[in-house]
Amino acid sequence: MTSDDESRDDADRIVTDVVCGFCGLGCDDLEVAVSGRAIRPIKACAEAARLLARPDQPPPAPRVGGQETTLAEAAAAAGRHLRGSRAAAFSGLGADLDGLRRVFDIAMTCGASFDHEASGGLFANLERLGRRGWIATTVAEVRNRCDLLVVFGPDPTLSFGHVFERLLPSAAGDADAAPLFVAGRRRRVVIIGGALSEAARRALAGQEVVEIPVPTDQVALAAQALTALLAGRAVADLPELDGIAPALVALVEPLKAAAYSVFVWNAGVLSTRDAATVAEAAAGAVDVLSVTTRAAVFPLGGRDNITGAHQAALWRFGYPLRTSVGGGTARHAPDRYATATALKDADLLLHVSAFRPGAPADFERGPVIALAHPDTVFTREPDVFIPVGTPGVDHFGHVFRMDSVVCLPLAPLRNAELPSVAAAAEAILDSLRRAA
Amino acid sequence: MTTRITGGRVFDPANGVVDAPRDIVISDGRIIAADGPSGANDEIIDASGCVVLAGGIDLHTHIAGGKVNLGRLLMNDDRARFPEPFGGMMCGCGGGRAAPTTHATGCRYSQMGYTAAFEPAVVGANARHAHLEMGDIPNLDTGGFLVLGNDDFLLRMIAEGDGQQAVNDYVAWMLKATQCCAIKIVNPGGINAFKFNGRALDLDETGPHYGLTPRRILNTLQRAVTELGVPHPIHLHGCNLGVPGNVKTTLATIGATEGFPLHLTHIQFHSYGTEGDRRFSSGAVEIAEAVNANPHISIDVGQIMFGQTVTASADLMSQYRNHGIADPKKWIGMDIEMDAACGVVPFNYRDTSFVNALQWAIGLELFLLVEDPWRVYLTTDHPNGGPFTSYPHLIRLLMDKPFRDAHLERIHKAARAHTRLAEISREYTLEEIAVVTRAAPARTLGLKDRGHLGPGARADVVLYVEQPDREAMFAAPRLVLKDGDIVVRDGEVVALKKGRTFAVHPPSDPLMDKRLERWFDEAVGLKSSHFQIADGEIRDGEGPELVETQP
Repeated sequence: MTSDDESRDDADRIVTDVVCGFCGLGCDDLEVAVSGRAIRPIKACAEAARLLARPDQPPPAPRVGGQETTLAEAAAAAGRHLRGSRAAAFSGLGADLDGLRRVFDIAMTCGASFDHEASGGLFANLERLGRRGWIATTVAEVRNRCDLLVVFGPDPTLSFGHVFERLLPSAAGDADAAPLFVAGRRRRVVIIGGALSEAARRALAGQEVVEIPVPTDQVALAAQALTALLAGRAVADLPELDGIAPALVALVEPLKAAAYSVFVWNAGVLSTRDAATVAEAAAGAVDVLSVTTRAAVFPLGGRDNITGAHQAALWRFGYPLRTSVGGGTARHAPDRYATATALKDADLLLHVSAFRPGAPADFERGPVIALAHPDTVFTREPDVFIPVGTPGVDHFGHVFRMDSVVCLPLAPLRNAELPSVAAAAEAILDSLRRAA
Repeated sequence: MTTRITGGRVFDPANGVVDAPRDIVISDGRIIAADGPSGANDEIIDASGCVVLAGGIDLHTHIAGGKVNLGRLLMNDDRARFPEPFGGMMCGCGGGRAAPTTHATGCRYSQMGYTAAFEPAVVGANARHAHLEMGDIPNLDTGGFLVLGNDDFLLRMIAEGDGQQAVNDYVAWMLKATQCCAIKIVNPGGINAFKFNGRALDLDETGPHYGLTPRRILNTLQRAVTELGVPHPIHLHGCNLGVPGNVKTTLATIGATEGFPLHLTHIQFHSYGTEGDRRFSSGAVEIAEAVNANPHISIDVGQIMFGQTVTASADLMSQYRNHGIADPKKWIGMDIEMDAACGVVPFNYRDTSFVNALQWAIGLELFLLVEDPWRVYLTTDHPNGGPFTSYPHLIRLLMDKPFRDAHLERIHKAARAHTRLAEISREYTLEEIAVVTRAAPARTLGLKDRGHLGPGARADVVLYVEQPDREAMFAAPRLVLKDGDIVVRDGEVVALKKGRTFAVHPPSDPLMDKRLERWFDEAVGLKSSHFQIADGEIRDGEGPELVETQP
């Protein structure tokens, strides 16, 4: 990150090469103007612009029972609630890795189950990845090798604004410019799902695009049919697929002839069952193709560092999210510890959301502790609210990109006045240690 | 305040001390000269009945990073079978045996008397992740070996004839950017070839796109680390891993080193012949002869141990070849960021399988036939040959001929007929164990204050109660000191300490910054400044411990 003039506090500072931790795509070429506390996005997708923008206002104070107080007091109150809990559920988990590490420490100390806000798509994909595995690829490989991209589902730019610019840059002429290994440098892109937005079409202007329109609730069926066709299996008469079967059949030979085809889908916008079916079909297609050529899946997802939360849970506990820890044990039960289910038995909710104002789920069974974005609008005033800063706006922080390989450093854009999730969690741990 | 360990039998081969009764004196986390009289303030540790060694160093163990986490994901049954608590002080987070959690990794190594472990396959794009995991491992110093030799930037430089100096600058830049301490090559050119749908690549075969042979890639990087003065030579996972007949490739590789030192890792997987009815035989004798005759070659064995494990490798070309024999039936492959790849395949090595039984015997033959212990490092290539927790058992197999013979009796009959193991009478001595698990790995990695007990060394000291059952002896030390503090007592973890991370920072020409800025911008799609890992990102701001380079 660079600044044009660090010394002028009240004038706009232009900050370039800002790393974005919001959608999981990991764009790192954003640009903002910073003036005092205010941040004005200059170069960013719509979602990043919305989430980076900050007014020049002092941050709110922590609250206990709706009353403003200090961080130490709020942390002590959180500690009291946690000590009294026998079945805590931690939700949201929108935090950088250091923040997650401390939140996991609290879970270890007090006992809690944990889940991330955006884990639905991840767990649908794990139905395939955890049980049978797959062959996957990463951003730079797609950029440089992918000659045929198959997209299942709605236009991915609706969730990941610059996904096509990142994954499929058109050749710029330079010897270093992606794609380095695509013959003719023009790729084929096949959309099996919703219609592309105008922005998506513009981003794909240099490519050969085929849209096979399929309603969202039929995408899984189409994905299964394509894999069956690739495997040489007969596809039973499927009235739902009327009209598109010829287009799927026509895709078989190009896929077999492609040097490096890549299958993408956003499990988070499909029903859990459909998402799992698409993951299975995409991975199955790659299995068939890999016998004679190369192919890979590239699942889209990764909002608010869910990929980091998944990774950290694995290295720390040996299990993915939706695990309950404490009392010297860990128990992974995805159905039981998904937030919605866990809250039916929980007696305390601790909610973490540093990247965006994401309110906790409705919860009436016990106290609510929120380590949350200052703009969060609560339906019920939490028992403890500690407004936290955003990694990449207020604090340093590490987040994973959606391909789960690249971990990115987020740097602060302004002076931190809010505690980070790590600092807030550390204050809670401190109060727990003192009480012990 | 000093600590005096007295009355033990000291084995410190790096300082020529073998089975000598002598005091080890510790002050401020380091060992100091023991000549002076014991002071009134000395804390005395009575080591009578004990063998005193430096802390163990594992130079090849897959403990951190993306492929290990994929292993954890696939090995959920193993995780459930080896739950918390695991003895001693309960930090309570984690378990697993084949792909243990970070805390379980630190605690279980520590329980065996190890104080340092090196992740030998850090992919540049995943280096930050690997470092975050390493920082979360208690009681161990760590370091990573950067995987090069399949990265498109390097291959293009070699193919376009950019010259050795440019390669050296690139290697130096990458080592610093990824905070690693050595260079590993995995299947030189082969991982890259697989991305172009190449399915095999032998030492002198020309790979796709760049038209380079593995030999050329190997020699170029050997020259680079030598000229940069990186202490550890190229750490090579050679061509044709696991392929019957690969002994020929391995012998050719030993002959291809142009006089540069070379470390051949998990050489057991590269020592297979094609003799016999089953077209699978031991090449250990030929390999050992070649290693004995070439003093610039060092090896680690990658011993296989029977039981469930998971194999995790950057060598997707080989792992794709092997995925059909995954047990349980699941596996993950991944091409990674113009850097390398990974393949994670669960395996269950069975003594009733001819191939597995012979692999076991080949590993032991290599350990026993290579004469110079300073050029052998004890590994199972955790978890690829077996989990590191099997080291005490492996040590007993090496030190106890009757024990080894009893195990040989139990393996697949035909495999027994194909190994010379029964004829080998060698038993490792305690001195040799101290070399292969301490002194030799420290020396090859350039760690001047590790792996020995002389003045100035970090006070990583282990007291093992002398007993005839070497497995029991090495499984549960009486005391383990990390930086002078007791972390394990009677085989149980009693304290958790932060370790350090080793790195080398050889200088590079600033012009390389510019070249890589453009490469990262245009090809990779990530800013080079965000790829580079700052010192402050290592271990919560502690920064790396730099290992000296000597060009």
